[in-house]
Amino acid sequence: MSGLLPFLAQRLFRALIALWLVSTVVFVVMRLSGDPVPLLLPPDAPTSEMERVRRELGLDRPLPVQYAVFLSNTLRLDFGRSLHFREPAFTVVRGYIAATLELGLTAFFLAAVVAVPIGLLSAMKRNSVLDHAAMGVALIGQAAPTFFLGILFILLLSLKADLFPTSGRGGWQHLVLPALTLGAFTMASIARLTRSAVLEVLRADYIRTARAKGLGEAIVVGKHTLKNASIPILTITALQFGTLLGGAVVTETVFSWPGIGRLAVQSIYNRDYPVVQCTVFLAAVMFIAINFAVDLLYGALDPRARAN
Amino acid sequence: MDVTRRELLKGAAALGVAGTLSQGLRGPAQAQTTQKKELVTAQGGDIARFDPHFSTSSNDIRVSFNLFDNLTSRHPDGKLYPGLATEWKLEGQTAWRFKLRQGVKFHNGDPFTSADAKFSIERTYDPNAKTMVSTALATIDRIEAPDPYTLLIHTKKPDPLLPARLAFYGGQIVPKKYLESVGNDGFNAKPVGTGPVSFNSWVKDDKGVFDAYAGYWGGKPDFDRWVVRAIPETAPRIAALLKGEVDIITQLPPDQEDRVIANPATRVEGALYAGLYCLGVNSKRPPLDNPLVKQALSLAIDRDLIVKELWKGRGIVPNGPIAKGDNHFDAKLPALAYNPKEARERLKKSGYKGEEIFIETTVAYVSQDKAMSEAIAAMWKDVGVNVKVEVIEYSVRAQKTREKSFKGVWWSDPTSTLGDPDGMMWRLLGPGGPMDYWRDAKWDELGNAARFSVDEKFRAEAYRDMTKIFLEYLPWLPVIQPYEDYGLQKYVEWTPNPNQQFEIRRFNLKFRRA
Repeated sequence: MSGLLPFLAQRLFRALIALWLVSTVVFVVMRLSGDPVPLLLPPDAPTSEMERVRRELGLDRPLPVQYAVFLSNTLRLDFGRSLHFREPAFTVVRGYIAATLELGLTAFFLAAVVAVPIGLLSAMKRNSVLDHAAMGVALIGQAAPTFFLGILFILLLSLKADLFPTSGRGGWQHLVLPALTLGAFTMASIARLTRSAVLEVLRADYIRTARAKGLGEAIVVGKHTLKNASIPILTITALQFGTLLGGAVVTETVFSWPGIGRLAVQSIYNRDYPVVQCTVFLAAVMFIAINFAVDLLYGALDPRARAN
Repeated sequence: MDVTRRELLKGAAALGVAGTLSQGLRGPAQAQTTQKKELVTAQGGDIARFDPHFSTSSNDIRVSFNLFDNLTSRHPDGKLYPGLATEWKLEGQTAWRFKLRQGVKFHNGDPFTSADAKFSIERTYDPNAKTMVSTALATIDRIEAPDPYTLLIHTKKPDPLLPARLAFYGGQIVPKKYLESVGNDGFNAKPVGTGPVSFNSWVKDDKGVFDAYAGYWGGKPDFDRWVVRAIPETAPRIAALLKGEVDIITQLPPDQEDRVIANPATRVEGALYAGLYCLGVNSKRPPLDNPLVKQALSLAIDRDLIVKELWKGRGIVPNGPIAKGDNHFDAKLPALAYNPKEARERLKKSGYKGEEIFIETTVAYVSQDKAMSEAIAAMWKDVGVNVKVEVIEYSVRAQKTREKSFKGVWWSDPTSTLGDPDGMMWRLLGPGGPMDYWRDAKWDELGNAARFSVDEKFRAEAYRDMTKIFLEYLPWLPVIQPYEDYGLQKYVEWTPNPNQQFEIRRFNLKFRRA
């Protein structure tokens, strides 16, 4: 237990640095990308009007001042007022987070629940028809672009087979196609990685020993193989959550899902700095929180991680 | 990123996937009649604001023109009809007297009176209100409300188009008492008007829900509830229509119409756009300051081919700067000519030495812009123009519009806001207008005189002369006047409005009942 506290403190410190870096990069990039004021006003608005709006939004102040204000406000979760919606950016983004979490977690859960057993089975039945079929499908899942899969699912499963609605948010039926689309890449990655991790462990001496001493296959797989293979699986799964957040941008657009991915894209077009900053910041928080949780799990799964 | 995806999406939808499905497709909604009590429409973007004085975006005005009424109303047939005003007349040169409709109530029960009308119109140009429509009614000098049902509007100079101005954006009437008590933010969050639907709820980027207003003076709409969904991508928007999830979709591209027509339950309805798709020209920059070069560029464009191939026939070739359907459109004028031989001659005569001419195109800012740019570039190359196509992003376009810093030609979709050349070419090309890159003393004089004249005969002559000058100097290169198409279920009887208003009042939208 003695190693746990410094371990936690160190991880927390790194997480905070990451958050600071992310928010700074977003701040700089958004300011490099152009002036939002011409987009907010009609094309024939006079220059005086432009200047008034710029002053009102604080965009006339020097960049370092804007940055200082931005940092101190961010600490209080105050990201400013959305230039487009004209309400606090945090309030705007908060309204979208539930939808993205619902979609992201379903896709994530679906991916993990389906992919780990498939990967495991593929490894156990290596080079069988099942293995080839599963890995073939996984390859397609990894290679097919999200928007293509999304449209394909809409055409086949919604229009042709009439199983699910085409788009929008509502009951569980609305969730199936976007979650499948979003989870496809993750599912494929996890399945392939599970397979190779399990194969590697299966070759290890301690598995031969376990088998030699006459342990049943269930115990060999369940206790010795899976637990040891779980560390790389866990790593890739956690990293995949980031991919899910990125993939959400496209999936949410295709399925008209009112989540933060779609909000982020629209806000970038609108040069709505406060909303973009808030969205990226909260996405980073989610990503870092997941990684932090995985780090903790490592510690639990592998004592060597704590010692290091 | 969105750009590539959108293109690829269109490709994916248009390619085999769609083909395979169209035969096997048996939409669940085969019925040509319905018992539905809910109207569901899908548009390409979400609503951003309900307050009608704070937005002119088409996604917003489709809703706000139905939450609110104007004093006058432009119907899909292009004519002006009474709205909250029952009649109006010009007194002298600069005073318009409006008689207001009696017995009208706002959604919250407050009665509508001349005080609301006066407040609403004054709010648009009140510098403290900081609205987005501050120039829409700027010809007004002052307003009197002598009694609850009379409004007297004095204009600064004679303004023949005031009733037309009041029918479009800026002219929506808001409730004075309610707005003052809840403030701008409160009003936008829970808007109240006199229109045929009242606000129920809004989930951003998902849907807006509106209830039919039983007490509407024009009769309760033919449904109980209206749901407006935002489905940004074209393919899923069409899929939602084919599956019967929505009743009407907007922004149906011409190359996707076959799918809607092939489906037994759906059909296509279009309106000739009240405006033109043009290439704006920076006439200050050589060689585009030379009228002969611009004439050559215009003569080199095979517009018929563009209409036929890229638009599948869903458009017409313009004959000048005035859109068909507008006041003073001259039907006798021939369509803009295609004559590559003459184009080469004029280029030679102009002394053009192969200077680069840039097409700064957006992608999907106006429908088909990039494809049309590539086609036009090829046509210009054929006559010996050194043309270069550059793709710019929307915000860059907005910036260049603002700074008037386009390098050559760019896409623009001038809208005729008043059904009159004053609300289109003079508004945009006039001195100080957003597309002021060219001046001609005679043209300016005519435009100014026509704006402030109440003599329609004089105005007709002025616009005829202005068209002549326009065709010589070509400050725009008009390319097409397209149809704006919608997909709808066959059980919906509805006529689209050419100016992007989305009219769902009882006179224009009915469900075919069994």
